[in-house]
Amino acid sequence: MTLSKAVVTVAGLVAAVWVLWYFLATPRPARTRGGQPR
Amino acid sequence: MTAATAPSDGAPAPPAPGSGRRRVTFPVVGMSCAACASRIQRQLATTPGVRDAAVNFGTTKATVELDGAQPRDVMEAVREAGYDVGTDAIAVAVADLRSAPDPSRLERAIRAVRGVVAAVANPAAESVRVTYVPGFLDPRDVEEAVAAAGFVLAAPVAEGDPVERERLVREREVRDLTGKLVLAAVVAVAAMVASMPLMGAEAVGSADLLARVLMPLDAALRRGLPWLYALDPQSLKIALFVATVPVMAWSGRGFYVSAWRGFQHRSADMNTLIGVGTAAAMLYSAAATFTPSVFTGAGLPADVYYEAVSAIIALILLGRLLESRAKGRTSEAMRRLLGLAPRTARALREGVEVEIPAAEVVVGDIVLVRPGEKIPVDGVVRGGRTAVDESMLTGEPMPVAKTAGDEVVGATLNTTGAITIEATRVGRDTALAQIVRLVEEAQGSRAPVQRLADRIAGVFVPVVIAVAIAAFVVWFDVGPSPAPVYATVVFVSVLIIACPCAMGLATPTAIMVGAGRGAERGVLAKGGSALEAAAGVDVIVLDKTGTITEGRPAVTDVLSALETVDRTASGPPAEPEAAMLRLAAAVERLSEHPLAAAIVAAAAERGLDLPEATGFRAHEGRGATATIGGHAVAVGSATFLIDLGVDVGPFTDAVDNLAARARTPVLVAVNGAPAGLIGLADPIKPSAVAAVRAFRAMGLEVLLVTGDIRKVAIAVAGEVGIDDVESGMLPAGKVAVIKRLQEAGRRVAMVGDGINDAPALATADVGLAIGTGTDVAVEAADIALMSGDLRTAVTALELARRTMRVIRQNLFWAFAYNVVGIPVAAGLLYPVAGVLLSPVFASAAMAFSSVFVVTNSLRLRRFTPSLAD
Repeated sequence: MTLSKAVVTVAGLVAAVWVLWYFLATPRPARTRGGQPR
Repeated sequence: MTAATAPSDGAPAPPAPGSGRRRVTFPVVGMSCAACASRIQRQLATTPGVRDAAVNFGTTKATVELDGAQPRDVMEAVREAGYDVGTDAIAVAVADLRSAPDPSRLERAIRAVRGVVAAVANPAAESVRVTYVPGFLDPRDVEEAVAAAGFVLAAPVAEGDPVERERLVREREVRDLTGKLVLAAVVAVAAMVASMPLMGAEAVGSADLLARVLMPLDAALRRGLPWLYALDPQSLKIALFVATVPVMAWSGRGFYVSAWRGFQHRSADMNTLIGVGTAAAMLYSAAATFTPSVFTGAGLPADVYYEAVSAIIALILLGRLLESRAKGRTSEAMRRLLGLAPRTARALREGVEVEIPAAEVVVGDIVLVRPGEKIPVDGVVRGGRTAVDESMLTGEPMPVAKTAGDEVVGATLNTTGAITIEATRVGRDTALAQIVRLVEEAQGSRAPVQRLADRIAGVFVPVVIAVAIAAFVVWFDVGPSPAPVYATVVFVSVLIIACPCAMGLATPTAIMVGAGRGAERGVLAKGGSALEAAAGVDVIVLDKTGTITEGRPAVTDVLSALETVDRTASGPPAEPEAAMLRLAAAVERLSEHPLAAAIVAAAAERGLDLPEATGFRAHEGRGATATIGGHAVAVGSATFLIDLGVDVGPFTDAVDNLAARARTPVLVAVNGAPAGLIGLADPIKPSAVAAVRAFRAMGLEVLLVTGDIRKVAIAVAGEVGIDDVESGMLPAGKVAVIKRLQEAGRRVAMVGDGINDAPALATADVGLAIGTGTDVAVEAADIALMSGDLRTAVTALELARRTMRVIRQNLFWAFAYNVVGIPVAAGLLYPVAGVLLSPVFASAAMAFSSVFVVTNSLRLRRFTPSLAD
């Protein structure tokens, strides 16, 4: 059981970091409605 | 297709698309949450030639400002983001199409029109079915294309009624959602019942809130349906699997498709949470069903969660359904506005009176309007006299007298006499159509606070996924046995409860309802940002003329350079006064200033015929100059004449005298010498005093700015109860006053009506153009008030404050719900209270939060201004 725990822990950690990286670390295009004054 | 592909048979190309900047609003399909809207918005904003893009999830519409981009580019950008542009179809009736040799030529010509997606001729029905993108299409382009291809229209091309179209879309959505919900709900209930026998004593049940609730039910079921308990558990599991597959494949399909689309674009939204959550529950259950030995071999119960999958999908669909119906109600205001226009018109065609649909009236048509009928289109009275009730437009209850030459507005009510009018503006150009467009734009626009909500949602979802994974790991590593089961339950629950849809709905629903309610009350906000700014102001700057006063001053005194004669006191003026007034009026006839109109009116009243003035020049806010018969005539304020080098010394006492009586002095100079003085007064609006008192009660500082001289300004301010006065202000001076306040950290609202107020209206944090105002002022303002009553400005600020309060409440509850819900779902309460949240409970809580937010927004429909008419 300890081996499986170790595997799940490592896999979970990798997955969580990957999710954060995949969705958040991508360079995003400049924000819309970029405050061009009227 | 662009103009370049227009048929080469000599047909002129349709009008150059994209010439100049254009703002278009069009429907978007496939959006299922606020995050989808921001994804499309990002894509649109990065499209070359698009200056500005706003996508609204609430109205499912996108508004873009095109600066060179073609409709095609915009459509591609939307598709690129994984969505599609909504289309509509109309049948264009073409005469003699049956006998036309080559209908495909007509199809090609129509397809070349901007906004047209497809055109299919049906010679048998003598019509062409044109599929187009609403917002991009100008029906006139289609008419021109048909004519250019050598065909004759059998009826004018009319775009479908946008409100009706929206209603149909909404209806289809409700029908679709209802079907999906029924399937999911039926399967969910059946699965819950069928799962009872499967919940063995060893199940995770004891810690589960839901299982505790269901415990007595289980006992009752055991007595009522003993055969269910006699069934083979393995067959029961397989039956549940078979029943759940269609729920996922059909009812829940939208979630998975959207989640996958989002994943491809590296964006995560509520669909991602629902998709991953239900898929995890389904996969776990399927594994437990078909390879139970893997579980039992590891000493784990082969539990299944099919009922959770169906129940989650059902509850979320229920939330969507309620949301969709609520959104339908928010567009009611618009329907009511459009409903004001009469359906038919009595037009004179070839000397014969015919009743035709109002949409078919063309510019130049002579239309007959009987007493008690609504005027079908905007026009000019050509015959008859009547009084017209324009309350729908201005809020003023008194009918306005109209005779030949007066303008009338479509959808207003003709009361006393029969009139004939010549149509001047029809279809989308009428005043009513413009109002509707303003409301539509406001409802579809995004408030700055919305951007914050979007940004939170964009970060929130990935973080929640990470938290869910972390919770899974913790439960797996240190949780009670059977750890993998608990870990899965917690993982699914966290994902489900964290759906940020309530956050996404918080702002747009409130803006939609608020803007709609405002329109009913004569307040047209040009967007969510206008409402947000209006809610935050702490100083209100009022223009004097036209805002506090009627704006229609009358001449009260006429003084010549030689002697002073009070017109009212001494009857007809001596010769010099008439001559002086005649010259002044000749100059002022060319000016737009309200004082000028009064001087011209005074001259007309005395039967003076005005000479021709040449070389007219208006000096904004100061006066005007022109040449009459070789003489240089200047009319304006004392400072203006002093600037021109005129010695106004002889009039100093008279000017002070007039000002002391709150009358505006206008000086006249001929060839650089003082010629006379005209005194004017402008009555104060009866509503102004109550409005100023209401502003005070709202905690606002009230300031009067005017181009008028100090004494007049103070006299008027005193009468309405304002202490702070800035007088002698030119347009630039008004701007400077507002800027100074802003630099001091104040947030300023400006109420004005004239061209001279336009710069100040645009500078202020929020500009309110008052009803009787000029087009320029309305254009520059953020909020247009339909009536000239200053109390409408109070209503506007009250509505804005109320709307923002609802938005803040919505955001607070949506956020608080997540702050509380996620830790509970992650099992934080388990060690202390032994409580765990089942995924089914989580989805019910999530659906409730969305419904709560929408219901809270709908409260704005009951908004009533504190100052009743």
